[in-house]
Amino acid sequence: MSYRLTQNEADAVFAELLKKFDIYAPHRHVCAGRYSDDDIVKYDKVESLSDVEYKKKSDYPMKEVISPIQQALFYFTEDEYRESKVSSRPILIFARPCDINAQKIQARIYAGNGGFTDSYYERMKDRVKYILMDCEGGDDNCFCVSMHTNKTDNYSLAVKFHEDGSLFVKVKDQDFDNYFQEIKEIEFEPEFVNKNELKVTVPVIKDHETLNKLKAHPMWNEFNSRCISCGACTIACSTCTCFTTKDIIYGDNPEVGERRRIESSCQVDGYTTVAGGISYRKTAGEKMRFKMLHKFHDYKERFVDSDMCVGCGRCTARCPQFISITTTLDKMSKAIEEIEKGEV
Amino acid sequence: MNQDINIKTLQKNCFRQSKVPGVFLLQMRVPGGYVSAEMLEIVKHISETWGDGNFHFGTRQTFDVCGIKYQDVPAVNEYLEKYIKSVEEDVCGVDMDLIAGEKVGWNPKAGYPTIGARNITACIGNYHCVCGNVNTFELARKIEGIIFPSHYHIKINISGCPNDCNKAHLCDFGIIGVAEMEYHPDRCIGCGLCARTCEKGSTRVLTLNEETGKIEKDTCCCVGCGECARVCPASAWTRKEEKYYRVIIGGRTGRQTPRTGKMFLNWASEDVVLSVLKNWQNFSAWVMNYKPEYLHGGHLIDRAGYKKFKEIMLEGVKLNPECLVAEDIYWHETEYRSNFNVKPLSLHHTAGPQDKK
Ligand code: SF4
Ligand code: SF4
Ligand code: SF4
Ligand code: SF4
Ligand code: SF4
Repeated sequence: MSYRLTQNEADAVFAELLKKFDIYAPHRHVCAGRYSDDDIVKYDKVESLSDVEYKKKSDYPMKEVISPIQQALFYFTEDEYRESKVSSRPILIFARPCDINAQKIQARIYAGNGGFTDSYYERMKDRVKYILMDCEGGDDNCFCVSMHTNKTDNYSLAVKFHEDGSLFVKVKDQDFDNYFQEIKEIEFEPEFVNKNELKVTVPVIKDHETLNKLKAHPMWNEFNSRCISCGACTIACSTCTCFTTKDIIYGDNPEVGERRRIESSCQVDGYTTVAGGISYRKTAGEKMRFKMLHKFHDYKERFVDSDMCVGCGRCTARCPQFISITTTLDKMSKAIEEIEKGEV
Repeated sequence: MNQDINIKTLQKNCFRQSKVPGVFLLQMRVPGGYVSAEMLEIVKHISETWGDGNFHFGTRQTFDVCGIKYQDVPAVNEYLEKYIKSVEEDVCGVDMDLIAGEKVGWNPKAGYPTIGARNITACIGNYHCVCGNVNTFELARKIEGIIFPSHYHIKINISGCPNDCNKAHLCDFGIIGVAEMEYHPDRCIGCGLCARTCEKGSTRVLTLNEETGKIEKDTCCCVGCGECARVCPASAWTRKEEKYYRVIIGGRTGRQTPRTGKMFLNWASEDVVLSVLKNWQNFSAWVMNYKPEYLHGGHLIDRAGYKKFKEIMLEGVKLNPECLVAEDIYWHETEYRSNFNVKPLSLHHTAGPQDKK
């Protein structure tokens, strides 16, 4: 069932929802961008509809709500430990199709990958329902259509914000019917983007030999001088799941403290450093190669039906060195072509 | 060529004497060094009609047109009306009828009424620069009407960040945009990039605490450059929305006592900077016994002494709570001639009203 709510009606429904749910949405932080006077849009807990930034695609992904940049896993004292607690209140998240689809990809890594289920991810994910935000086409970094992530039916409500403050709502999940009882029904279906300016073809790596040759291809050298290994691309990525853990000791007793998990990235220096100070991937080119192949080969090889990318384009948008993931993909395609023709 | 020319009057009109008798250079003000490209048409016309067909970027970001003949000055002035009205009145909101705040009346066909204060220079600031913390030319435009037109001189340089590309340290009143930084530990992944960047290019005030994986900061010495926010991959450092400024005074070049300026205010709000500058006329007038001379600001501060300068400049100014003021200033200058400063009392300059004598 669908409705058109006036601004007042929409505010009233929102206020009702707040009684039951923690609501998260993209929120604009004025002047908090990388450069002076630039804003940043990131996910926050919101208290009113006017807090929701629906026009600009968020700079940081929705995943931050479910797997925050930092979280306490458990607290320990000598031989005992206690898991961290989270609220049991259900969560509603305003999200675009790309961000919702990214959770399908993340869930596979967190739940069941290698026979282990990440309970910290699960306990958050289980609380979440989505409010699909009508995406009017994103920006010139988006390529969700190429990644087949432009559509989703994983939502409870779908909304479209109108300039005049009114709100179109489709209620898909009956649990929400009672919030709209007094309101007249109309026809409304969410629309999905069906064309991006940017089109990408993910290259097919047909066998192990091609893969090995691609790994050794000189195309990666370019990044040794361009990429500064800052990790901004992966922090902004809707699908990246890598993290590291750290034990924080309270005061001077090394037996008392907490274990924290903190987002990390294959792009950052030190990520592959192991005991003895040895590092698997030292150069920026090697790190870039790992990221690209992980996203556009390894993941699919394991989980078959998709790559580890929803085409949100945030990595390109946040890279301070203007390294475009889609151009890098094109370079990969070209390198594979050369390999197949026997040129390298 | 036998010509009787009052070059002082011409200088006030912004025409500078050249090596060749009867030939002058016109200096056109460009507040903040930023102006619509349309204005280049005017510069072009003046230069091709009355000048030598070229122009020079003045060291204070003016358009300088060389080779203007004395007899053409009235025609040039008449033509300048368009430029002055557009740049000074429309863009900067300057009241051209006032000189140092007093109603004098400006003849728009007679060119610039005064050469003081000197053109306010600025780097491009955050309008373009990835390091910038403030919009430098917008600030210049707000200041223009406070200090110009006036017969009192002051050189103001504005830099968008502590990199100080525009040498706020080498003018009477240098203004540097500084950012107050906020740290959000919940967003910090402990990569240490901000600390390495601060160490390499700034003040080495950040350290990554290996125990906590978080950043610690020695707040006393942060210069507010904003580099940490620029490099942080996770927006764990952000600039506060409010803009702040550092004010450097008394810097100068010159034949006698060149020196780098020293910090007068730190973390001043825009309001504070503007209201301090509103006292500049009073201060200059007081030092020079109410008779303007061609003397730059730094020398006036020397004559009055820093404490007197501070007293007059802060009169009626409501400082923002973050603002810090130098208690004293310890100058460090190059004395080209040793002990040049030690001389008979009769040669000493005076400061302040002299009626009592
Ligand atoms: S790799 Fe880039 S485009 Fe793909 S999901 Fe991550 S941020 Fe989005
Ligand atoms: S990636 Fe697609 S769904 Fe996401 S913002 Fe861009 S166009 Fe919209
Ligand atoms: S690709 Fe860009 S954002 Fe990613 S690590 Fe390299 S420089 Fe940083
Ligand atoms: S002073 Fe700062 S803002 Fe101005 S140009 Fe230099 S680096 Fe950029
Ligand atoms: S650069 Fe950002 S994420 Fe890295 S240590 Fe500094 S504040 Fe933390």
